[in-house]
Amino acid sequence: MKQFGKILKFELKYYFKNKVFVGVTIFLVLLIAVVMFLPRIVGMIKDDGEGTDSSPSERSVMLIKAETPREEEAVRKAFQAAFPDYDVQITQESLSAMKERITKEEAECAFVLEGMTSYTYYVDNLSMHDSNMEAADSVLKSMIQTGAMVEAGITAEQAGEIMSVQITNDAVSLGKDQMQNYWYTYIMIFALYMVILLYGQMIATNVATEKSSRAMELLITSAKPVSMMFGKVIASCLAGMVQLIAVFGSAILFYGMNQEQWNDNPIVASIFDMPVGLLGYMLIFFVLGFFIYAFLYGAIGSTASKLEDINTSVMPVTMLFIIAFMVVMFSLASGDVDNTLMKVCSYIPFTSSMAMFTRIAMSTIAWYEIVISIAILAGSVVGIGVLSAKIYRVGVLLYGTTPKIGSIIRSVWKA
Amino acid sequence: MLLELKDIKKSFGSKQVLSGVSFRAEGGKAFGLLGRNGAGKTTSIRILMNVFPADGGEVLLDGRPINYRRMKIGYLPEERGLYPKKIIADQLVYFAELKGMSHREAVKAVDHWLERLGMMEYRNKRLDTLSKGNQQKIQLVTALAHNPDIIILDEPFSGLDPVNAMLLKEVVREQIAENKVVLFSSHQMSYIEEFCDSIAILNSGQVVLSGELHDIKRSYVRDRLIVRTEYPDNIQADFGKDCTVMGDGSLMIRLACAEDKKSVMQRLVDNYDVDGVKVFEPSLNDIFVEYAGDGADKEDVR
Repeated sequence: MKQFGKILKFELKYYFKNKVFVGVTIFLVLLIAVVMFLPRIVGMIKDDGEGTDSSPSERSVMLIKAETPREEEAVRKAFQAAFPDYDVQITQESLSAMKERITKEEAECAFVLEGMTSYTYYVDNLSMHDSNMEAADSVLKSMIQTGAMVEAGITAEQAGEIMSVQITNDAVSLGKDQMQNYWYTYIMIFALYMVILLYGQMIATNVATEKSSRAMELLITSAKPVSMMFGKVIASCLAGMVQLIAVFGSAILFYGMNQEQWNDNPIVASIFDMPVGLLGYMLIFFVLGFFIYAFLYGAIGSTASKLEDINTSVMPVTMLFIIAFMVVMFSLASGDVDNTLMKVCSYIPFTSSMAMFTRIAMSTIAWYEIVISIAILAGSVVGIGVLSAKIYRVGVLLYGTTPKIGSIIRSVWKA
Repeated sequence: MLLELKDIKKSFGSKQVLSGVSFRAEGGKAFGLLGRNGAGKTTSIRILMNVFPADGGEVLLDGRPINYRRMKIGYLPEERGLYPKKIIADQLVYFAELKGMSHREAVKAVDHWLERLGMMEYRNKRLDTLSKGNQQKIQLVTALAHNPDIIILDEPFSGLDPVNAMLLKEVVREQIAENKVVLFSSHQMSYIEEFCDSIAILNSGQVVLSGELHDIKRSYVRDRLIVRTEYPDNIQADFGKDCTVMGDGSLMIRLACAEDKKSVMQRLVDNYDVDGVKVFEPSLNDIFVEYAGDGADKEDVR
């Protein structure tokens, strides 16, 4: 135990004295700060300007060409009301002249109306997020409907009231609100994924470096392999958590300082509205999930003879982890987090840290399911930890070519 | 203090690496473990250090199974290596702490040894900024700092210049004088011959020769004389084919039997201008080649 403490201290020092580790952490905190203060900064720049309303000359030009000139002005007014960011202009130019103005970027887009129920939309590059056509549809629809109502004897005011009727709604979710939980679940799963992959690789490289620099010759004769393995893994877990706490902590802190500016952004607001209980689950699944993979990475690092071998040696474990991540991410995106695959993955130790956490966050899970999942995961951590320490003890003494899995298993069995 | 390995057996997979290795090393004396590459020296040392268990046999200290919790072992591995990118003092203190020292004791011991080996100026430097010889001295600190009872030195002199080799010899003599068990493993026979009172030669996982070096040398039949002279021709003419010229220019005279030794010595001194006559004793190198060389077959040596 004393030896374990010494190893833990030495390994922790490795992280906290590592310039890259410190640099990356500071960079991430600064990045979070910039993002969180962005609305405030943008607001300050805007205030310094001449006001928020841009003059017509600064706005993009939207051209309208109608077949019947008597409708032109009514259409222009309706479009101008619907597109306040555009300078809506009526034109009588030929189609080719209009197209030329768009390609020369004198105008951004054009609507050529064929009657009131049909039009062609011209734009230089049709963006994925272009919603102008939907807006134009509803403008024209509403104009036709209002016109029909006026013709039927309803006054224009009455018609306006009918057309602008507002429906209010409210949804009450008796379980979890997936819309609200989606983003923070996504962020947490992603953080888990990044930390495990990065630190796993670091552990494997660390062990392989000790082996290739032959420091292992001394280590293995000075300390128990179990102490060394657990010391390394727990140190890197602590380092990873410090980094996560720095990033998430600074995010929460900076969000608190800029909450007013962010209030009208529902996604950001939902992320920081995370229940505290979920953070507890995050911690449990993070630590256990981290351990399982960290032990495997450590064991693999011990079997590599050269640093160059590490990348290929860790591939199977990395693939396993990426597959687990993909399953969870696709289920998360589809909204069906309780599908059969996810249920199975919730009890497999290599996938349960992400799968079960996602289900807890996004769905309603019985308490015993959570307990069983955590119990299996915790048991596997101990089992894989001990097995990894055995592989480590055998692996670190094998020089030359990277040994085959079969020969390692035989050696571990005998040891 | 008496360290004994008794009938140690070890195999890796189907390969038998050690088949019944036994030897004993006493405190206050240096012991030489010799053998060619792959003879089983490192495996024996690792079993002795409890890195992995033996398949059979036992490691005894003063007749009882060795207690690794109490007994401290210092090890200078043949494959040198520490953390190249880390501060020297940090890693030396770490290794001393792993061997059971408190932080304060470790710092004190490390500083003492850095001072003793003239390395204090490198205390706060990174290991990879040092020359090979100096790195080796740093490595030696890891073997000695925790004041071990048993010291295992695997090729301790390789890579050291004559001045540093002398310093290491002094340090080793001090350790021997403190009644510690010092176990050498080396291919440099001259150093073993200089330090070790007893040896064991391993060949193919078996001890083919062990005992006090002095006794081993004495056990050879003393039927050859070495003659140093400025005028070898007359002696060669007198002794004919029994006289051969050695590499260093001296003559070796093979006697008909060991009992003739005294009379032939007398004859040489009386009749020729000789600078010196002595009975031939095989060097450790000769003994090693005889027992561990390609032609060695333990069934019919001597």
